[in-house]
Parts: sequence; C-alpha cells; structure tokens
Amino acid sequence: MNKNTELDFATVLASSVHDMKNSVAMLLVNVESILERYQPKGPEESQSFKSLHYEASRINGELIQLLSLYRMDHKLLTAQIDEYYLSDMLEEQVARNQLLLDTSDVNLELDVDDALAWYFDVDLVAGVVHNVLLNCIRYTKAKVKISAQEERGWLKISVADDGQGYPDIMLQQPQIMAEYAQLGDGQTHLGLFFAARIAQMHKQADKVGRIELRNNASLGGGEFILYLP
Amino acid sequence: MTSSNYHTLKVLIADDFSNFRNTIQQMLVELGVSNIAMANSAETVIEKCEHERFDIVLCDYNLGSGRNGQHVLEELRHRQLIDSQAVFILVSAEAGRNIVMSAYDSAPDDYLMKPITAQMLQGRLKRLLAARAHFAGVYQALDRGDKELACERLIAMSLEQGRHTCLAQKMLGELFLELGEYRKAEKLYQRVLESRELDWARLGLAKAKQLMGDLEQAEQWLERIIDENYLFLPAYDTLSENYLARGDTVKAQDVVKQSVEVSPMSILRQKNLAGLARDNKARDLAVEAMHKVVRLGRFSCFGRREDKLLLARAVADALEHEVDVSASLFNEACELLSDKQQHAELDTLANVQLLYIQARLFAGKGELDTAKQMVVEAETRLTVEDSDIDVELDHIRALLSLDYEQKCNQLLERLQELYADDQQALEKLDEFLSEPASEASKALVAEVNREGIELYNQERYDEALACFDKALQLFPKHLGLKLNIVQAMLGKMKHCDDDSLLESVGENSRDALENIAAQIDEHHAQFKRFLQLKAMALKLNA
Repeated sequence: MNKNTELDFATVLASSVHDMKNSVAMLLVNVESILERYQPKGPEESQSFKSLHYEASRINGELIQLLSLYRMDHKLLTAQIDEYYLSDMLEEQVARNQLLLDTSDVNLELDVDDALAWYFDVDLVAGVVHNVLLNCIRYTKAKVKISAQEERGWLKISVADDGQGYPDIMLQQPQIMAEYAQLGDGQTHLGLFFAARIAQMHKQADKVGRIELRNNASLGGGEFILYLP
Repeated sequence: MTSSNYHTLKVLIADDFSNFRNTIQQMLVELGVSNIAMANSAETVIEKCEHERFDIVLCDYNLGSGRNGQHVLEELRHRQLIDSQAVFILVSAEAGRNIVMSAYDSAPDDYLMKPITAQMLQGRLKRLLAARAHFAGVYQALDRGDKELACERLIAMSLEQGRHTCLAQKMLGELFLELGEYRKAEKLYQRVLESRELDWARLGLAKAKQLMGDLEQAEQWLERIIDENYLFLPAYDTLSENYLARGDTVKAQDVVKQSVEVSPMSILRQKNLAGLARDNKARDLAVEAMHKVVRLGRFSCFGRREDKLLLARAVADALEHEVDVSASLFNEACELLSDKQQHAELDTLANVQLLYIQARLFAGKGELDTAKQMVVEAETRLTVEDSDIDVELDHIRALLSLDYEQKCNQLLERLQELYADDQQALEKLDEFLSEPASEASKALVAEVNREGIELYNQERYDEALACFDKALQLFPKHLGLKLNIVQAMLGKMKHCDDDSLLESVGENSRDALENIAAQIDEHHAQFKRFLQLKAMALKLNA
C-alpha cells in the first residue's frame, strides 16, 4: 500500500469514527433512560444492564480518543488553554458517570478545594479524567477517589482506586507514554497514550505536562496521576 | 442563585430527534423549569426566537439536513433574536470547543457533550445562571448604552479573586478597547500575562498596540500566538487588519488565506479573502474564494444575493486574463446568472449589471453573437447617465472582451466627463486609461516614475524595471510607464555581456514596442519619444 492510500484510509476511518460516535451517543442516551425507568429483575439482569452501559460508554470514550489523535496528527487540534475551576470540571465528570457509579455500587470520593483554579484545556483534560474514571469504576473493588491540588507549582489530578492496581509491565515501561506501542499483552493501552499526549500539549515556560502510574497508593489499588504545569 | 429561580426561566430545546428533546425536557422539568419550548429544525428555532425571548437555548449541532446549530447561532446573534444575557449552549457528540470553534465565525456561550445526564445538566445550568446573575448589572448597563457604568462595575469585579474574575477581565479589556482606553487595556492585559501567557490576553495586547499605532509590536505578538496555537482564529483576523493598516495587501491576503484553511466554514473570512484577492488581482484565488462564499451562503445568514453576481464577475475577470477556469465552474457561473426568478427580484441597475457580466462570460466562451446581443440589450435598458460607476466598469469590460475598442474609448471619455468631480470613481477608471484621471493615481504614477528614473540613472536597471512593472499592474494602459519600461530594457541591454540574456531582453523590448505601437498615434505627446526608443532598439538588436 503506498503512502497516499494509507492517508486516504486514515481520513475515511476518521469520518466513520465521527459517524459511529453520533450513533453511540444516541445509544447511550437510550440505555440511560431505560436504566432510569426500569428496575432490573434480579442480579443477573442488573449485571447485564451495567455491562451494556459500561461497554457503550467505553466505546464512546475510545472513539473520542481516536478522533482526537487523528486531529492531533493532522494539526487540527491544539490545546485551548484558559483558567478553569477544578471542582467544576471534576464534578461534571462524576455527574457524567453517576449512573454507572450507582449501578456498580462504587463509592466515589471527590477531594478538591472549591477555590482551586488552573490553566488548561478543559475539554481535553475532562476527556482524560473521564476515561480513567470509567476504567477505575470497572476494575475497582468498592472505592474510587479523585483529588486535585497544587503541588510545587504543578497541578496534580489523581484518580485512585482499591482494585488490583496496574499490571507491572505498564509501570515498568513509562516510554509508552511518549511513544505508542503494544505492550505484548494484547492490549493497546490507547487510553494511556492519549492521556500522555494530552498532558504533553500543556506547556508553560520549560515545563511540560506528564502522567504517572502507581500501585499500592492511598486506597491500596492503582493510582493515575496527571501533572500539569 | 438557587434552584427556586428555575421556574422563571424560558428554555428552548432544539434537536432533530424527539427522543433527545424529550429526555432533556424531562430533566429540566425535574429541575423545576416549566416554561419549555421545543424545535426540531433550524428554521423552527429561528421562528420561535422571533416570537419569544428565551433565557437559555439548548441547541444540537446536528439539526438534520440543511442548516446546523452553528448556523442558527449566527443568525440569532446577527438578527439580535437573543439578547445579550441569553445563554446559547451548543450540544454535540463532539468534544466541544476544539472542533466547533475553529470552523465558524461565532462561538456559543457554552458547549455540552452528549450523552448528557441530569446531574451534568444541573451542574452546568447552576454555573451558567450564577455567572449570569453575577454579571447582570454589567449587562443592564450595556443594554442601556451606559458603557462607563459597565466599565466601573467590571473594574470592581476584575479586582476580586474569584470564579468570575477571568470573564470580567476579558469583558473589561474589550470594553476598554471599544471606549478608546488603549493604555488601560494594555495595562490590564499585561497584568493577566504576568501570571500566564493566555491567548486571549496576548490578542488583546496586540489589539491595544495596533490601535495605539504600534503596528510592529502588534505584528510580533500576533505572529507568536499563531505560531504556538495555529487554531486561534481571532489572531489571524487581527493580523490581516494589521497588514492592511501597514498597506501590505498581499500579506493581508496570505493571512486570511491561512485562516480560511483553518476555518473552512467561515463565510465572512471567505468573503474577505475574495475581496482582497480581487483587489490584488489574484484572480484564481478570487474565483475560488467567491465560489466557496456562494456554497456557504446557502445555509448562512451572511449569504447575499449579490454573491452569485460577484462569483460570475470573478470568473469573467479570470477568463479575460487567461486564468484557467474549470468548465463546471464556468457553467455554474452562467447558471447563477440565468436564474429567471432572481431577475424578477432585482432592480433595473442590477439586471443591467447582470447582463454585462453575462456578456463578458459569453465573450470569454467565444459566443460573441450572444454576448453582443446582451450588450445591446443592456445599453438600451439603461443609459450611461442613469447608471453607476460599478455597472459601467462591467460595461467597459464587456466592450473590451468584444474588442469594441472605439466604442470603449468613447465610453471612457464620457465617463470621465460624468465623474469629473468624483475622485473615487475616476480611480476606478484609471486602470483602463492611458493617462490616469484621478489625483491619487496621478500622484502614485509620478512617485513611481520618480523612483524608477532614479534607479535608472544609477544604472540599477532590474530594480527600475521591477518598479515600473509594479505600477503597470495597476495602470495597464499607461503609455508613459510602458515607454519607461522599454527605456530601462534598452539601458540594461547596453550594459549586458551575456548573449542569451541579451537576446531575451531584446525580444521583450520588441514585444513591448509592438504593444505601444497599437495604442499610440502621431498626435500623441509621447510619439516622438516612442520613435526614438524604436530606433535605439533597432540599433541594439542588430
């Protein structure tokens, strides 16, 4: 395949992703209204409702990431930095996933000072938090904690859970965050790559945003941290 | 603001899917909103807003075929169908600002990404309404036209440390610029920039510098913004204005061209580009931009009937200057003009103008008989005395495209008499005259000649040629300039040792002399000089 047809394929893919996203958004709205109207009969049905909702959200999140990565590579996406309040952005991400939290019996704690404001692209960072949160709700045991604070001139947003933590191979290979690669475990880790790219789009003087992964963190499980200058 | 205020709100929900409208309506009802209207298409949103003032419009980007949410927003703002305090929220399945912002002319107050949950909507509305309440005093002052009071209130708000400080600073900066308080604006933006290099503050600073006359500084700031955030469109707009203020129309055109690449859906930028390209005689670009204007105009409130006319004229201009125009575009231009219904809606002046442009197009296509008939019809319908200068320019071009030289010269003479007291009109005619008629053009030619002759005297022939050539672009019929060019060519030949170069310059000079010969006769004041140059050329070419 020559270079030109590859480029065309990327564009075709991007426009179908765009289309799919609209459909998935419709699907999600419907799933959520069904979940609100009907009480599941028994744990089995509850489980399949939950799974339906989670998988649809996940597809939605991944499609957004794909589209954003396409736009970054085609110079159609830059960070639109302005001042935003962390509590606004984080509360909205919790609200977006409230139904999933309720049906999953996950207890979420949000720890952010109401007066904390920072400079960032609110749509891009919200997208990162949303994806990480979605993942945590899926893999945690019972608790998720989101926190944000200023730490030595950086904004630190952390999402921690009490699940099994991140696989060792992800902690050991931080280069995944700069360069997209498969880790050999069959998973693409697109989410982390996306998060790292978004972090890097935030620059101030000589400082560049980054992400970190940790295990055995505050809640005993894994912790995702986004540092923004 | 507490939730008890929700019952006073008037909200409009627009989406082409009833499913989504009903879901949102349900959410709003639960919040205590009772006054809710619905629309399922762009047209219905506009219709509803014509009859009722809404506090909040929740409008989906996708509204089925035809116009989208962004088109609706532009029209609502343009026709002032929503007031300054109303909140327009654009809903889409896309990731907000980044995608939509870059494409169009106007930005909504907020974005909501689908899927929307009740909690999300509640949180957003709470914040938006709090901001609205916070700025109510400012909007009231602005609506009354009391900018000083608005300014005072914003100054107080921008000094507080809180959730609305940033927006207060933005509004205050813009108000300072509007009020001519450039120093104050500059200070405000500099203070913001001390804590962070935000694009809006850099842009504001550049605008303040520009308005204070410091175009160089403004340019530096603007180029830095674009360099670091090439999607930040207002910087392009201001930079092109900056180049225009410096008199550099070519660079202004380049910047606008870049900006339409970033914002392909912006009809206003395309129009701006078409105008600049026409003035710069970048005829292919003018055609391309006008073509896009006509396309975008189908759904935009900024689309105008005369856009089609301008496209057809741009095509005719291109054809007359041997710029390639695709057959499909040519046919489109002809079709646009032959729309019978449109003719009925136009006045005589516009109809006659249309005929002249049509004649130009047919002449360009080689259908001379049809073109001639059209000119005759146009001339019968409207006399030169009842016409206006812009229509007559098309008249002139139509005659030229039919090689009616004598008729054209008579027309030019008549027009110079008619518009003897109208310098602007005379400037428009200068392009067709062997001696400019307007004062401005005369001065310009005199200046160029002075500069070129000085270069010639210093034996800097290439620079002299470039100088005369540039002026000839503006006044292609100017005899004096043409003769100066020949003289500079001959000067160059005298001092040239390179045989192949000598040959090509020699050929150019012969062509130029032939061109002059077709235009000059023995009664002309410069005829003697022409003969001298011709003799000199013969000697040098021998």
